[in-house]
Amino acid sequence: MAMRDLVTGGAACAVPGTAASSSNPFGALSNAILGSSSKTQELKGLPGSAVNVPGPLPHFRTEAPLSTIPGLENEGQQHHPPVGQNNEFLARFRTADHGVLADAWNEIHQPPALQTQGGKIEAQFQEFEQIYNRGASSMLPPAWDGPPQGVLSRFLHSFVDSGRVGVPFRPAALPVLGLSEGDKQCIRDRSFIMAHHIFADKSEEYINAQVNALLHSLDIDGNERLRGPVRGSYPELEEYWTESQGALRSGMPYPADKWVSEFARQRENGDPEAWAHSFEQLHGANGWASEFEQEQSQLASVGQVRGANMSHIAAMEQSRMLAHTLAQNNDPKFQNSKFLQFVSKMSRGELIVDENQIKPATGSLTDNWADEYQAQYNAGSSSWADQFVRQELPQGTDKWVNEFVKENQQQGVDDQWVNEFSKLHVQDWAEEFGQQVAEGALGDSTADDWANTYENFLDEQLLASKQHSGASRGVYVFSDMNPYVGHPNPLREGQELFRKGLLSEAVLALEAEVLKNPDNAEGWRLLGITHAENDDDQQAIAAMMRAQEVDPTNLEVLLALGVSHTNELEQPEALRYLYKWLQNHPKYGVLATPELADSPYYGDVARLFNEAAQMSPEDADVHIVLGVLYNLSREYDKAIESFQTALNLKPRDYSLWNKLGATRANSIQSADAILAYQQALDLKPNYVRAWANMGISYANQGLYEESIRYYVRALAMNPKADNAWQYLRISLSCASRNDMFEACDSRNLDILQKEFPL
Amino acid sequence: MPVFKTPFSGYAVRFSPFYEGRLLVATSQNFGILGNGRLHVLDLLPSAGAAGISEVAAFDTADGVYDCCWSESHDSLAVSAVADGSLKLWDASLPPSANPVRSFREHSREAHSVDWNPVRRDSFLSASWDDSLKLWTLDRPASLRTFREHSYCVYSVVWSPRHADVFASASGDRTVRVWDVREPVSTLVIPAHDHEILSCDWNKYDECCLATASVDKTIRVWDIRATRAPLANLAGHGYAVRRIRFSPHRESVLLSCSYDMTVCMWDYRAEDALIARYDHHTEFAVGIDMSVLVEGLIASTGWDEFVYVWQHGTDPRA
Repeated sequence: MAMRDLVTGGAACAVPGTAASSSNPFGALSNAILGSSSKTQELKGLPGSAVNVPGPLPHFRTEAPLSTIPGLENEGQQHHPPVGQNNEFLARFRTADHGVLADAWNEIHQPPALQTQGGKIEAQFQEFEQIYNRGASSMLPPAWDGPPQGVLSRFLHSFVDSGRVGVPFRPAALPVLGLSEGDKQCIRDRSFIMAHHIFADKSEEYINAQVNALLHSLDIDGNERLRGPVRGSYPELEEYWTESQGALRSGMPYPADKWVSEFARQRENGDPEAWAHSFEQLHGANGWASEFEQEQSQLASVGQVRGANMSHIAAMEQSRMLAHTLAQNNDPKFQNSKFLQFVSKMSRGELIVDENQIKPATGSLTDNWADEYQAQYNAGSSSWADQFVRQELPQGTDKWVNEFVKENQQQGVDDQWVNEFSKLHVQDWAEEFGQQVAEGALGDSTADDWANTYENFLDEQLLASKQHSGASRGVYVFSDMNPYVGHPNPLREGQELFRKGLLSEAVLALEAEVLKNPDNAEGWRLLGITHAENDDDQQAIAAMMRAQEVDPTNLEVLLALGVSHTNELEQPEALRYLYKWLQNHPKYGVLATPELADSPYYGDVARLFNEAAQMSPEDADVHIVLGVLYNLSREYDKAIESFQTALNLKPRDYSLWNKLGATRANSIQSADAILAYQQALDLKPNYVRAWANMGISYANQGLYEESIRYYVRALAMNPKADNAWQYLRISLSCASRNDMFEACDSRNLDILQKEFPL
Repeated sequence: MPVFKTPFSGYAVRFSPFYEGRLLVATSQNFGILGNGRLHVLDLLPSAGAAGISEVAAFDTADGVYDCCWSESHDSLAVSAVADGSLKLWDASLPPSANPVRSFREHSREAHSVDWNPVRRDSFLSASWDDSLKLWTLDRPASLRTFREHSYCVYSVVWSPRHADVFASASGDRTVRVWDVREPVSTLVIPAHDHEILSCDWNKYDECCLATASVDKTIRVWDIRATRAPLANLAGHGYAVRRIRFSPHRESVLLSCSYDMTVCMWDYRAEDALIARYDHHTEFAVGIDMSVLVEGLIASTGWDEFVYVWQHGTDPRA
C-alpha cells in the first residue's frame, strides 16, 4: 500500500516545464529532482517565456572558473571539460544523481523499517515525504499548491500576476523536492543576514527564531550555528538596547516569550551536540513526556534541553510574535510588503499541523511537545490543533509506512478534526449598521445633512440589495479562476487556510471542494462560516443553505443560518432556523412543539430557549442562541447578559467576543464594544469582521477618521466585503474626505491604505 | 518619468559614466535568498516619456546579483557581484552567449559590493560576506590583494573619488575602515554606528568627508580627520538604511534608500536635513544612484521589481 503510494507519488512528481511525463517512477523522480532542484546552477527557474536560456552546455562553460585561464578575452567561448570541483554545477549534478536518487531508489526497494542507520532513516524519510507531497500536489495547475505551499498561494498569485507565469516560487516549491545542500546553505545564511537588517529593531533571539521559523518551514536544518553580527563590544549600549526592546515587547500577549528567549540564550551557550545526546538517552515519547513535565514544574532547568528543536519551538512562538508585531506596525506599505508576508507566512507555515503529522517520530514528538507546552501557556487558544496532533500521535509515528497509510486515512480523520474544529468556530453575526439606521430613524438622529444622505444612501442600498436578493437569494456565486480546482484535497487545504485566517483564500479552496463534492455538507458549512467571518452574509447564507440541503439536521449549519439571517435583519428566517436548531438538538428536541415549525413566533422561540438554558446552564451554545434572539428583539441588555454568560463558558471564542461587541454597539455602548472587538482581534488577528465592526463602532462615536482606518484595514484583508465598502464611503463623507471618494469607488486600496494607515 | 519592470527583485542600479541615458541594474530572484540573477543594461529614451526605458542587454547568472558597477575605462564593460561569491565581468556590446567575459571566483561567500576605481580606472574592489575585500584588475586572473580585517560581513566598498589608492569599506562589524592599497593594514577604523553598517560613500568635493548608513536607521557623516563624533546624524528612515550616495553635483547633498521602502534626499548641513522623501517603492528600496552627467537625475530600484528614473523634485511615478 504504502509502497504503491510511494511509487505513484514519484510518478506524479511531474514538475511543469520538465519532461516528467514519464511513467517510470524512477525517471520521473529524477526529472523532478533534477528539474527543480533549481538553481543547482541552472537557469531553469527563469521565467520560461521571457528568457532565452542558453543551452545547458554553454552555461556549464560560464560556470567554469574563468579565472583559471588568464588572459583570454572571451573564455566564454572555450569549451571546458567539467573538471573536478571546478565545475560546481556538475559536481552538484552528480551529487543529486548519486546521492538523492540512489537513496530514493533504495527507499523504494527496501522496507525502510529494516534500516538501522538512525538519523539516516529520518533524512531519507523526509526526502520521501517531500517527494510524496510533491506528487500529490502536482496534479494542480500550478505546482506549488500542495499543502505546505498553500499558505503562500496568495503571495504566489501576485507573482503570477506580475508576469511570472509558470515559475514556481522557489523557496516554497523547492523544499518539497530536496534542496541541495548548497541551496539550503544559501537560504540559511542569506535569510539570517538579511533578517538582521530587516528586523534590526528586534532582539537577537527574535531574529534567530524568525530565521529558524523560515528555515524550519522549508525543512532546512537550522542546526548550524550562524555567526551573528557582533553586538557585544558595547555592553552598556547592548544592555540598554535589550532593555528598551524588552519594554517595547512587554505588550506581547504570550507569556511564553520569556522562556523562549531563555531557551534561545541557553542555546547560544550550548553545545549543539548536547541535545542530541540527551535525546538519545530520553528517546521516545515517554522520555519527552517526562521531560515535558519536569520542564513545566521547573522552568529553571530549561538548560538541559538544547539545540535545534528548541529553536523550532521558539520559532513557533516567535512567529506569532511576528504576526503580532506586523499587525501593530502602522505602515500599511510595510504591512503589504510581499517580502514580509512571505516571511511571516513562512513562519506561520511552521504551525502547519499536518506537516507534523507526517513527520518522522522525532519531529512530531518534539513539535507536539511544543504544542502541548504552548497550550499550557496559552490556555488552549489552539487546543484543538494540539488535540489534533495528539490524536494523530498514538498511531505509530515511528513507522513511516504507517505515516503513508495514514495519509490515505486522512479522510476519516478529517471528520473528527472538523468536528473538533467547528465547535470552536461558531458563526458570528453582528451586523449593526442597519439597526443603527433604524434607531436613527426613530428620532435620535441629529438631522444633519449627512444623516439624511446617510439614510438615503442606505435606502438605496437596501433597495438594491433587496432587488439583488430577490434575484439571487440563496444562489451561491462561485469565483472564477479558482486555482484550487483540481487540488487533491481542497477541503483540508480550506480548513488549513481558514485556521490560518486566510479567509479569502480559504473561500477559494472550499469552493473547489464543493465543486468537486457538491454533496459535502461539511464543505458547504465551512464555506459558509468562512464567508460569515469574512463579512459576507449573502454568500454565507447561500453556502449554508446548500449545506442544509445536504444535511438538514446539522446543528452547526442551522445555528449559522440563524445568525446570518439575524445579521441580514431577516427575523422570520432567523427564527425558523433557530427553532430548527432546537428541534434537532438531541437534548432540547423534546421542548419543541411541531406546530411551531412553519412560522415560529418570536415569543415562543425565546421561551423555549430560556427553558433550554434552564435545563443545562452550562451549554454555551444555548446562551449564544439566546443572545442572538435578544438581538432580534432588540433587548440588548439581555443579549449582552447572555453573551457574557456564554463567554464565561467559552472565553476563547473570538466570534463570541465579536457578538458581544456588536450587541454593545447596538445598545449604544460603542466604547465598550471596541473593548470586546479588541478581545476578538487579540484572539484572531485576521478577523475581518471584527475589524469592520471596530470601524462601525468608531463611526458611531463620531470618530470617522478612526473608523476609516479600520474599514480600510478590513478591506485590505477582504476587498470583497461589500458592506465595508459602503461603510467606508459613509465615513469618508462624514469625515469630509470627499477627495478619497474616487479611490473608494474604484476600490483602490493602495491609495486608501496609504492615506489611512492603521 | 521612466519606469522599468524587472522580473526579479532589484538590488542595485548605476548610471553609466559614459552615456547619460544608460543604466545598469542588478537583480536577484526571490529577494536574493535563492534563485537566479540578472543584470540589465537599460537605455532611457529621451522622447518617449514614461514608457521610455528600453533594454539594451540582459545577462543571466546562476545566483542573485547583489551589486554592479560600470567600468570607468570602457563604456561597455561592467562588473557584477554575484551571490555565489563570484565577480563577473560583462561586455554589453557582446551577445549574452559571449558573456560573461570574465568570472573571478575567490570569495568564499556572497559578494555584496563592487566599485570601480574612478581615478586609476584600471582596477576594482569587491566586498564579501566572507569578511574580506579584494582588489582586482582585468589583466590578472586572481586578485591583487585581499584585505582581511573586518570581523563580519563587508557590505559596501567605495573608492575615494580623489585618491587613486584610497577606499573605504563598511561592515556588519559596526565599523567603517579606510584603506590605502599601498599600506599593509587599514589606515583608519571608525566605529561609526552601534549596529551593522550597510553602506558608505565618499563626498565628491571634500576628500575627508565620508557618509555611513546603518541598520540603526540613521545616516552619519564623518570627517575622517576627527572621528570622535559625526559631523551630522541624519535620522528619518523608519528601518535600516540600505544604501547611501553623495551627490556628484552638490557638496552636502546625500541620497539614501532604506528598508522602510523610501528614497530620501538629505542636505546634511541644513537644519532641516531631509530635502525630499520619495515613497514610490512598494517593497524595500535597495538600489539608488545619481547621474554624474545630468544634474538631479536619480534612479532607484527595489524588491518590488521596478526601476524608476526621475528628476529630483518630480514624482517618480508621474
